[in-house]
Amino acid sequence: MNATRSILATASRLGVIGACMVGFGSLRLAPALAQDTMPPPSEGPGVRDAAGVALNAGVIGRLINAAKPGDTILVPAGAYREHIRVDRPLSLIAQGRVVIDGMGSGDIVEIAAPNVTFRGFIVRDTGIDLDKENAAIRVLADHAVIENNTLEDILFGIDLKQAPDAIVRGNFIGGKDLDIARRGDGLRLWRSDRALVERNTIHDGRDAILWYSQNVTVRNNTSRRCRYGFHLMYSDDVLIENNELTHNSVGVYLMYSKGVALRGNRLLANRGPSGYGIGLKETDQFSITDNLIAGNRAGVYLDGSPFTNLKPGDISHNTIACNDVGLTFLPSVKGNVIAANNFVDNIEQVCVSGRGELTGNEFAAKDRGNFWTDYAGYDADRDGIGDFAHESVTLFENLLDREPKLRLLLFSPAQQAIEFVGRAIPAIRPEPKFFDPAPLTSPVRVATNSSPAPSRLALAISGLGLASVSSLVYLASRAFSLTIRRKGTVA
Amino acid sequence: MSATALETREAVEAHAPGMISNVLTLAWRELRDALRARSFLLYSLAFLALGLGVSYVSAASTGSLGLSGFGRTTAGLINIVLLVVPLMALSTGAGAIAGDRERGMLLFLLAQPVSRLEVVLGKYLGLAGALVACITLGLGACSLVLALQGGATEPRTMLWLAGLSILLALSMLSVGVLVSALARRASVAVGTGVFLWLALVFVSDLGIMAGTLAMRLPVKSLFLATLCNPLQAFKMWALHSIDASIDVLGPAGLYAMDTYHDALPWMFGASLIGWIVVPLLLAVVVFSKRSPV
Repeated sequence: MNATRSILATASRLGVIGACMVGFGSLRLAPALAQDTMPPPSEGPGVRDAAGVALNAGVIGRLINAAKPGDTILVPAGAYREHIRVDRPLSLIAQGRVVIDGMGSGDIVEIAAPNVTFRGFIVRDTGIDLDKENAAIRVLADHAVIENNTLEDILFGIDLKQAPDAIVRGNFIGGKDLDIARRGDGLRLWRSDRALVERNTIHDGRDAILWYSQNVTVRNNTSRRCRYGFHLMYSDDVLIENNELTHNSVGVYLMYSKGVALRGNRLLANRGPSGYGIGLKETDQFSITDNLIAGNRAGVYLDGSPFTNLKPGDISHNTIACNDVGLTFLPSVKGNVIAANNFVDNIEQVCVSGRGELTGNEFAAKDRGNFWTDYAGYDADRDGIGDFAHESVTLFENLLDREPKLRLLLFSPAQQAIEFVGRAIPAIRPEPKFFDPAPLTSPVRVATNSSPAPSRLALAISGLGLASVSSLVYLASRAFSLTIRRKGTVA
Repeated sequence: MSATALETREAVEAHAPGMISNVLTLAWRELRDALRARSFLLYSLAFLALGLGVSYVSAASTGSLGLSGFGRTTAGLINIVLLVVPLMALSTGAGAIAGDRERGMLLFLLAQPVSRLEVVLGKYLGLAGALVACITLGLGACSLVLALQGGATEPRTMLWLAGLSILLALSMLSVGVLVSALARRASVAVGTGVFLWLALVFVSDLGIMAGTLAMRLPVKSLFLATLCNPLQAFKMWALHSIDASIDVLGPAGLYAMDTYHDALPWMFGASLIGWIVVPLLLAVVVFSKRSPV
């Protein structure tokens, strides 16, 4: 029989698995796989989890119970309806398409021993109990490797609880179709230091969140349609690199953390109710470099960051483009150095929420400022730095910062009228919001690759199409004149 | 009697006396005259120059970064359309009937076997054709410039912008024709047209701003008041068509998205179509009751 053969092949390849286990597996597995179902978990004996769901009552559970520490279990393809707990150091590796189905209750995989590898499974359908935090994979011990799994229809995805030195790599994590308030976190680290989170895709979840986890590396992940793409709470010395975070409410939200580096990320179209590309709340000693931050409601939102004056907040070499607001500051924010960024076509480049100035922040470092698409000066000596400082004096933006409702009238000629009046009449001329002493006259190269531009050919064709309408109208009018003239001669 | 008048009479006689053919004949004449008029050429050139300037400058600044999205290019073009198209349409419309009346042309025209409804519709259609030519030429040239410059603009954006600009032009043309039907002299009509332009472009927005700041106007009233202005309806619709959302317009935009969802384009459409149909009907009524001199 096919299934039995695969088990035997597995066993022969791996001498580490005891003969008794192979016998056990092949005897019990074959009929179970033939039916593709298992007896309901409640019939199983032994361990139960907090919700009363029986653990290790199914096929994989029995394999685990029979294994010795350090064994590798190759789980054959099939669908398994069970909840498992890995209570000894094992490697569980899926052979082909292995589905572990939680049938909508409780957690599904619990890793309670150190040095466990869990690779290549499809884990689906957890409970939806937010109080119990039903998770597809919960890790309670160190040095776990969770790799290349697909988690679907789950409340929490991978939940590391005091599980330091874990590797979470290449997983595909998709949340349940629930209202945002009822969703769980696709990925959560709780007091799990030195974890490596890479090449995961997380979508339709709540957050990917790090709580009290130090020295974590987060790179090459993708997150979309979540609440916060990545969310740091009290997590220090974290590196967030080369991730692509799109269509979330907020791309990356850093709170109460220090020593965080954000580098080379693409934060696009994060337009939820908060809608920040990057939000910083009371975060210290951070650096934000080489990111592409585009199309968000606010590119970077700064609230009480940096928190101390130990190190200035470093925002450099980013492209901040096409956001409703490029940088939003709360009025009390000071101590940032914002240099060598491209501020491209943000509807409002810099906003001080409420009222105030940004005198406590530098918009240039080493005599090099930022590239502003709304810079109106020139560069006579051709040194790449504009000959006049860039300062933002706009009465209408001041009005907007005070009364955001009035954004409804953006882009209308009345806006220009107000700007003009603000410039022309010194009495109502607002104070400059910020001051860039050395604006750059050409954009800075940023390490992230830019998005594919729309087709120029199509644009040209539509242009020609539009122009041809006008020539048609013109020709029609000429044709009419000719008709009249001909009719006239006949008459 | 001018050559045009003769041609018109012959044209009217040559065609079947049906209403549609009457209207079309009148429209052709109006179209041709409009395209020949110096003022119209001036408007076209102004629109073309401003649009090309905006396209060139904004594409030059962002082209190298290859970023697409709702940026200054689109904002700039919307701005130009908001300034130039209403002025063009209002003043063209305002000259339509009053000018003919002053020259005695109207008396002659109405001596032909055409009804007053046909005259108004014919003039409206002809002028509309001229405006369409002007707008498509301007925005078409802008698209070409943007494409040559590196084109970080979606073709769809330009097509939507052109279509909606035409709707805006039609609504302002309606208002212009109404003014023209009411006014006795061409200069008064054009003056009133320009005054209306000022009111719609600047005064109403500034009033809404002042009202919001002084009276703490709630978001809903702010949105609905703004919607009544055809220029703002055009602007919001353009944004909505580009972005599928007007949340770029801040809290009031978000409010509108959350409250009206899919009905929003219909609301913008209703506002613009209302501004096309109602003034035009009024113009027909007024024109039918007034003496042609």
